[in-house]
Amino acid sequence: MLNRMPAPRDTEALLAAVARGDRAALRAVYEREAARLFGIANAILRDRDAAGDAVQDGFVRIARRAGQFDPSRGPAGAWLAAIIRHAALDIARARGREMPSDDPGLGDQAVAPEALERLAGAEESRRLHDCLATLEEKNRQGILLAFVHGLSHAQVAARLDQPLGTVKAWIRRGLLRLRECLA
Amino acid sequence: MIPTDPEARDALAGEYVLGTLEAREAAEVARALPRDPALAEAVARWEARLAPLTAIAAGEAPPPDLWGRIEAALDPPAPRRARPAWRWLGDPWRIGALGAGTVAAGLAALLLLRPAPAPQLMTVLLTDRDAPAWLVQADAQAIRLASLNTRAPPPDRVLELWALPQGATAPTSLGLIPADGRITVRPATIRPQPGMLIEITLEPPGGSPIGRPTGPIQFIGRLAPAVGG
Repeated sequence: MLNRMPAPRDTEALLAAVARGDRAALRAVYEREAARLFGIANAILRDRDAAGDAVQDGFVRIARRAGQFDPSRGPAGAWLAAIIRHAALDIARARGREMPSDDPGLGDQAVAPEALERLAGAEESRRLHDCLATLEEKNRQGILLAFVHGLSHAQVAARLDQPLGTVKAWIRRGLLRLRECLA
Repeated sequence: MIPTDPEARDALAGEYVLGTLEAREAAEVARALPRDPALAEAVARWEARLAPLTAIAAGEAPPPDLWGRIEAALDPPAPRRARPAWRWLGDPWRIGALGAGTVAAGLAALLLLRPAPAPQLMTVLLTDRDAPAWLVQADAQAIRLASLNTRAPPPDRVLELWALPQGATAPTSLGLIPADGRITVRPATIRPQPGMLIEITLEPPGGSPIGRPTGPIQFIGRLAPAVGG
């Protein structure tokens, strides 16, 4: 019994162990996922210190909420990413999202085209990619700036040089359009 | 105010997931979720729809001390006396939080180990000039590393400690080596045994992003029983 090598466990099983208070399982989740999750937080915050805070807050939430993870609602990786995104968004909001609309960290485009092409790979993300392609350019930009880079309605409006009300309406319309397209 | 109209509720859920809501609105949605299962369901569906967009952000190694900060945030304020021996098993007073099976297995391990303690295992990892660089000591449960000849890794690189049990095809990370060169680990998934390879590789900040060594092996050695151990 002492020398048994446990089989490699997937993230879902690790989360079940985390829910039982297994710290080593949490560390294993961290080791597997930290680089991806840190990248997600840093795309939103564009500040490594703040992104570290977001991943720290996120992992505390993961440790406490692992029992709420429901595999029937989606893969573990998406659940983890959602927690980290919301932790990063909370930090962005607490800082008043004081990002200038010409933040050099954002580059010239909402999202580099080659990054968007990554979506065309896997089956599920290809559908989203194709649906995004049916949106008007500004709707698509607004959605990507918000989701990937954590921009608020006001920041998207400033960056796209459009009135706030117009941008809110576009983004909402874009989301509903995506929902229909993915249905 | 959470709207009652289904379309408006679903749009609100979408904007919550997208992240465009202002702090007050987002906090209101977050508070409503536990007691509004329909809204929680709508949020979950939006999370699933938009999740592929997370692949757009490029992965990036986090700061090397981040795991330590997470552990510190999870644990109640640490007592004065360090308890490295319990680090990997959690606080003994919180053992009730672990599954009963874990507790039983832990007790069985203690009972088996107490009458005949496993011999101490050791190895010395050498530099490329055969100077001793690291002392590795291990017993049945813990692996301790001490620096004999500390050489800081190049800037933007960290040292990561790995163990490769005999017969295993891939090493298991034992963690990043802190600047003072001392680390004690109680790995959950492997058990130190004679013949186990211990190696140290050079990795990007935050450690290997893929869970396997990506950088060159800097030091390597094989655990062997210490005479009289």
